[in-house]
Amino acid sequence: MTTTIEPRAPRTSVTTQPRLQRRPRVNTETWSWYFMRISGLVLLFLALLHFFMTHILHDVTETNLAFVTARWQNPMWRLYDWVLLALGLFHGLNGLRFVMDDYIRAPWKRITTKAVVYGTTFTLFAYGTITILTFR
Amino acid sequence: MSSSVYRGRHGQWAFVTHRITGFLVFLFLLLHVVDVSLVNANPRVYDEVHDLYGNVFLRLFEVGLLAALVFHAFNGLRIVSYDFFPRAMKHERTMLWGVLFLTGLATVIGGWVILHPFFFGKA
Repeated sequence: MTTTIEPRAPRTSVTTQPRLQRRPRVNTETWSWYFMRISGLVLLFLALLHFFMTHILHDVTETNLAFVTARWQNPMWRLYDWVLLALGLFHGLNGLRFVMDDYIRAPWKRITTKAVVYGTTFTLFAYGTITILTFR
Repeated sequence: MSSSVYRGRHGQWAFVTHRITGFLVFLFLLLHVVDVSLVNANPRVYDEVHDLYGNVFLRLFEVGLLAALVFHAFNGLRIVSYDFFPRAMKHERTMLWGVLFLTGLATVIGGWVILHPFFFGKA
């Protein structure tokens, strides 16, 4: 292996530095980026199949209490619904985070809106999880 | 709102539509968690609410949900494909038309199935 010592690039501001000389940094936003892509790909199948089953294969009026009871006898459907709930809520929440950062500029407005949106999402995640786990 | 402006034209519309459809699907999900949780809180009310979903206005709402969901899903797939296969970017315009075509097709076929029982009764 040959190693060549590159002359150190002169100190310049980030904007004038050529792209390749900038070190890629892995931070929370990188993981957020991966999460959106992976959860999005999984949701494409889970959400579309779920819609297909409850609106096309069965009419929506057939998805009554008896339907849910029969379906949730199988723990795999509970798992399916829970994964859909979790990924759907957090994919949506992360997407809304970008939207809120883009459009809400005043700090107090941003904090208030985020508190409401995060609070609602986490509450409904807990509520939905309890529903799936405790239904008999 | 300079942060959310792309280079305009179709890419900009795809971007805006992706955000709006995502937001709408998210709002529906919040509502859906509450309505399904009625199976525990009050099973009788759960059945009554689900009868309400058979109403023509809510059926139209479901067709709208389908359109938003399919657009967001396939437009998302389009975005991800550029991340992993940058050369696909050359065909971005055609791919957007493909997304719109699939959305239209799914909405028309799905919409027919969803609205059918209201107008012609259940098979």
